[in-house]
Amino acid sequence: MFEYIPYIMSQIVQPFNLVLLFAATVIGLVFGAIPGLSGTLAVMLFMPLTYSMQAGPAVIFLIALWVGGCSGSFIGSVLLGIPGSASSVATCWDGYPMAQSGKAGKALAIGMVASFLGTFFSALFAALLSQKIADVAFAMGPWEYFSLCFVAITMVLAISKGNMFKGLASAAIGLLFASVGFSPIDAEARFVFDNMYLMSGLGMTVVLIGIFGVARIVEEYGKGFGALPDVDTKSIKGLGITIAEIVAQGVNIIRSFLIGLGIGFLPGMGAGLSNLVAYSSAKNASKTPEQFGHGCPDGIWASEVSNNAAIGGSMIPMAALGIPGDSTTALLIGALTIHGLEMGPMVFKNSGNVVYLMFATVMVCALVVLVLQALGMRVFPLILKVPYHYMYPALIIISFVSAYVDSSSLYKCGMMLVFVIIGILMSYGGLPTAPLILAFILGPTLESNMLKSFQYSGTAATFFTRPISCVFMVVGIACVFSPVIRMVLEKAKGKKAPA
Amino acid sequence: MKLKRDQLTGAALVILGIVVFLMTTTFSIPITAAYPGPRMLPTIAAFGFVVCGLGIFAEGTMSKKEEKVFLVKEGWVRVLLTLAVIAAYIAGMTVVGYLIATPVILYVLTTMFAKGSQTSVKGRVIFSVAVAAIIYVIYVYAFGLTLPGGMLFG
Repeated sequence: MFEYIPYIMSQIVQPFNLVLLFAATVIGLVFGAIPGLSGTLAVMLFMPLTYSMQAGPAVIFLIALWVGGCSGSFIGSVLLGIPGSASSVATCWDGYPMAQSGKAGKALAIGMVASFLGTFFSALFAALLSQKIADVAFAMGPWEYFSLCFVAITMVLAISKGNMFKGLASAAIGLLFASVGFSPIDAEARFVFDNMYLMSGLGMTVVLIGIFGVARIVEEYGKGFGALPDVDTKSIKGLGITIAEIVAQGVNIIRSFLIGLGIGFLPGMGAGLSNLVAYSSAKNASKTPEQFGHGCPDGIWASEVSNNAAIGGSMIPMAALGIPGDSTTALLIGALTIHGLEMGPMVFKNSGNVVYLMFATVMVCALVVLVLQALGMRVFPLILKVPYHYMYPALIIISFVSAYVDSSSLYKCGMMLVFVIIGILMSYGGLPTAPLILAFILGPTLESNMLKSFQYSGTAATFFTRPISCVFMVVGIACVFSPVIRMVLEKAKGKKAPA
Repeated sequence: MKLKRDQLTGAALVILGIVVFLMTTTFSIPITAAYPGPRMLPTIAAFGFVVCGLGIFAEGTMSKKEEKVFLVKEGWVRVLLTLAVIAAYIAGMTVVGYLIATPVILYVLTTMFAKGSQTSVKGRVIFSVAVAAIIYVIYVYAFGLTLPGGMLFG
């Protein structure tokens, strides 16, 4: 690994490559911050620009877009309450309330430091351990992936604590949405009503922005807008947080980092899942879980460390196995193939220098992002000064334009309107949105692995006879019944207390 | 007797579950012990709807807590009006395209949302045209994406 350091240095310090790195990072940040756009879209749109480049600059450019996109997504979550992408859905839950209570600067500072820690150290881990950790994934089959998805969905039910039925109902809606279109493996058309737009399933942009973004705006207008919040920028000193505050979050940071790294490294699961699981875990472990959702800094730390740690995590199977950790790494694998880099176990032997350049670029980008965000931190909260009657109409238009560009079809705009109505009805019924989003994102992975498992073994018993799968299944079932278990334990405690 | 929100939600979920289950029976591949097939996931969802719907209904019936008002009547009117404006926007983009529909709808939404605030017609017009133009330039010229041209002009 260390023999590649001269090559890495020679690539990164080149003026042209430095310009590429800065430009791509800024573009990525902007794409990440604006709801509906994402680092994935940035990589997709700018990929053709790299076709004429050498492998080194191409890697630097694409990785910088990706890291910028991932790191910028919390800005929209904190300032607008609309996630820049699925990777920062959980950041909204505490970031937005903090911003509304005049602590936007603080929430942004936490987001940027958490993003840096997650990105930088996950890339370091990926560089040091990629080949060894990838061996674990080799041992996992569809049984483990299914049970892991099951655990992930059931763990998020903990977020809807006290509302088990509502949380489960929300997850069931997510599974139903995930069922729309042709089924995996058997290609059976489900709930498509002979409509060609439904055959490829429901788009994530349409569902996510409709239910989570526009529905909230419409509902807020229905309730009547409050006064604009006072944004406290004067009290921001340095990064806005102290070393002591970071140290106090040590356990939360390490736990969230490991969740992000672990989930990121599992194929098909990335930052979109890790932020929800890390948030849920932080809430469960907290002594004051009731503060979560009302502007608790712990929630932002958990979400942002984990979603950025997924970057390094997803690079491990991408580099060592040629398997994408998420949709962006799938794009990167395709882009790098054009430059003669066949990802997989042999890549370390054939093009080890470029692989380690990828890891190094992520670490450099993490630093660049931190500096850029620190410099612009006092500017970001000013977005909140924009009156609602200007900001919300613009956001509604951007949301519907995003739905349109998703597939260049106005039909998607109509679909988004339907999801806006569903979002409002869910809010009316008190159904939480997080289980829906998670079940919707994980549904296809869950189903395809379930079907593959049955194809291979022909019985459900295998989920419990394979050790790793069995552990996940037991944890998942315990999570489903956790509200009941907790209630019984609390009653038992209550009975003991007077004695 | 006035139904509580939870009772309505529960009942709606049960009905949804039954409908979804009935729809899954039209799928060609059946569920077997050896291979659950494409019916399994929607069936789980349908089962979830029915069980959770009954649970929410029962909880709502037994609960003695007074429900908070979700939206007052004027609030519902505002919500429905906004949804109607958005629907008109989609229809407008279909017919006259983005460049005409967007500034108009932006002006309408800004005027609706600004009710009670101090804004000028001139300011709202400038804002509506400027935002529509900025979005257009970014999407079309900077990123090479296309926006609806409309049946009349496209």
